[in-house]
Amino acid sequence: MRGTPPMQPSAAVRATAAMQALGTLRAVRAEWTKLRTVPGSWWLLVAVVALTVAAGGASAAAVTTEHCHPTPAACQEDTVKLSLTGVWVGQAAVAILGALAMSSEYGTGTIRAALTAVPWRGRLLTAKAVVVSALALTTGALGVLGSLLVGRLVLPGNGFTAEAGYPPLSLADGPTLRAAVGSMLYLGLIALLALGVAALVRDTAGAITVVLALLYVFPVLVSLVSSEKWRERLQEWGPASAGMAVQATRNLHSLPIGPWPGLGVLALYAAAALLAGGLTFRLRDA
Amino acid sequence: MSAPVRTAPYRSQLPPARDGFGQLLHAEWTKLRTVPRWGLVLLSAMVVTVLVSVLAVSGSSVGGGGPAAPVGPDGNAVKDTMQLVHERLPGDGSITARVSGLKGLKAPRPDGGRAGGPPAVNTGKTPGWTKAGIIIKANTKSGSSYAAVVLTHGHGVRMQWDYTHDLAGSATRPDEDRWLRLVRKGDVLTGYESADGKDWRRVGSVRPAGLTGTVEAGVFTAAAPNTKVERAFGGTSIAEGPGRATAHFDELAVNGGEGGRRQATIGRPAARDTVPAVDLASGSFELRGSGDVGPLQTDTDITRQTLSGAMIGLIPLSALGVLFITAEYRRGMIRTTLTASPRRGRLLAAKAIVLGGVTFVAGLIGAVLSFQLGEPIMRRNGHKPPRWPELSLTDGPVLRAVIGTAALLAVISVLALALGALLRHTAAAITLIVVMLVLPQILISGLPLGAAHALMRATPLAGFAIQDAIARYDHAAAVCLPEEGCYPQGPWAGFAVLCVYAAAALGLAIWRLRRRDV
Repeated sequence: MRGTPPMQPSAAVRATAAMQALGTLRAVRAEWTKLRTVPGSWWLLVAVVALTVAAGGASAAAVTTEHCHPTPAACQEDTVKLSLTGVWVGQAAVAILGALAMSSEYGTGTIRAALTAVPWRGRLLTAKAVVVSALALTTGALGVLGSLLVGRLVLPGNGFTAEAGYPPLSLADGPTLRAAVGSMLYLGLIALLALGVAALVRDTAGAITVVLALLYVFPVLVSLVSSEKWRERLQEWGPASAGMAVQATRNLHSLPIGPWPGLGVLALYAAAALLAGGLTFRLRDA
Repeated sequence: MSAPVRTAPYRSQLPPARDGFGQLLHAEWTKLRTVPRWGLVLLSAMVVTVLVSVLAVSGSSVGGGGPAAPVGPDGNAVKDTMQLVHERLPGDGSITARVSGLKGLKAPRPDGGRAGGPPAVNTGKTPGWTKAGIIIKANTKSGSSYAAVVLTHGHGVRMQWDYTHDLAGSATRPDEDRWLRLVRKGDVLTGYESADGKDWRRVGSVRPAGLTGTVEAGVFTAAAPNTKVERAFGGTSIAEGPGRATAHFDELAVNGGEGGRRQATIGRPAARDTVPAVDLASGSFELRGSGDVGPLQTDTDITRQTLSGAMIGLIPLSALGVLFITAEYRRGMIRTTLTASPRRGRLLAAKAIVLGGVTFVAGLIGAVLSFQLGEPIMRRNGHKPPRWPELSLTDGPVLRAVIGTAALLAVISVLALALGALLRHTAAAITLIVVMLVLPQILISGLPLGAAHALMRATPLAGFAIQDAIARYDHAAAVCLPEEGCYPQGPWAGFAVLCVYAAAALGLAIWRLRRRDV
């Protein structure tokens, strides 16, 4: 500030706000540099897309109309959801991406350098959140579009033809577009959830285990528990099973939770994790 | 040049080093024991296993009422419904008949076609275990002891006795004629078959415990249930309904019989069948029947259900397995470790043994507690004998399932250790093992039966087959549904698949560890 004339208060406030925005932008850039320069991150991003498309394609290829009785239409197969099955696999790589952004700094001790450069902890966490969610959204978009494309190519060969009541997958179709955008947002939220948990746990193994348990334990419990009421509850409460409701395009009335409210449940989990992580990040020594 | 100075070779003054495998094991055990967090992880794995198991069984209930199943000679529920033409056989003797034209008929509606009841299941295909043949049975009560030689629709000639036993004879096609004979001598029953009634071939000799004194000898027709796999709403379901079949008998002769042939319906068939009005004594008639004879395959495996918590308990244990090696890389401890014990293969082997031993014990405690707490809950929820026989921890299959669960968790943690050593990356290794073991469990419910079975055979998830504790009989037609905890392979075959994964990963990890700098 040396050498500049004294400013009017309002201008000073404006300048501070602008500087803060600039600071956040710089923090975001720093985080992007950190992620970009670790080769492992690129492998993870490739893994998100590849796993999503491969698992989705394999699922679509495995299901045929052979056992549909009496006509293929009777199966009520949700072809969009089926093609997007790969998100179940891809989310694991996204969770690693989100968790590592925070926990690897603790593992290597660079968190101290990072906090020396950006002492405002909220800003640091925000910058990390922006970078990992943007990456998750981008790779998620690629994975989802790839899966839908594979589904569009594979499904008609398995009997899911337009004549049988299964129009080819297309983003021009409202529910399909919702499922695609929703799956993308789903992956973004998973990255934020993992980041929040990692800020809370500060340890890679612990964070990954907690996030994977949150994602996968609820659906497994659903298959184990025999009480119908509890099955429905577990599907409503589980971050993954509720969030995946956004992929449904058929028989929406029979879902335990609607598509957008389901994604909302996951958003609540992510927000709670980020809030808890952010608070402990602020209150604890690094 | 002066002559070389001879000096005594250097000898260390220290006592001989302790570098045996025992010391290595002890060192690894000390590492595992002295990290408080890892103790907590082990404890949490046990608690999670027990809690999830109890949660899984607490909501269980017995679906569908239906008439009580008859009880077989060994006290277990059986299926015993058939159409029988019989006469009394007071002592030794034999029964001979020629059977031909065995074929399936249009299926009747279940429960005799009650209004509003389930519809008939027709598949257009006769089930392979539809059968017709000769039988010697203790009495005409459903569930009584028997021995029979039958021609089946898809499995050739068989000799079956007391519901659970089955012996293979020739691979006769159902459209061929076959002569069958059953000879009773004392309490031994011997079955024969022949293509022409002259040249007889022995199928087997058996000694059913309940066939003493006066018995009934005759011919019967029974039909295995029709099952149809259907898909709806992204899931696979099975429709099952009674089958119905017919066969032609002639040349029926009972040596030593009292005569006075009668027709009897055993059990409660879905369709009332009668023999077309012909003289039974002539020994040539058409016999239609519905319902099946054989063991009643229960769909609820109490033991497996009480052990289901292991599906979740494996998550903390695999995290521990990965950390047991990756933590050494993270802290640089691996260099110290390899300085102390330079033989790398032995190091990883020692780690695997210590980790496997510890997780086995933790898993065993979890499994025994789960079974002991869960079994009474299942009983209270209506799973009672004879349909679900009494179980105790010392029964062979239960013991295999319980100890198998502990072994399963131990092998999974060793697999995790190997993946950690291979990848040297905590996050990647934990994710890989969890995705390999937990994700298939989620996907199998939404995939078609064939793809689900392929996943259950080929992924490490196959190891959970070891939790099977109910007898599955090849000669009882039943569809193996993943939702009911049925694994398509035998318990040991499934466990072997998991062990192959673990051994391969460990071998690869040792190879990598030897060739790479730390």
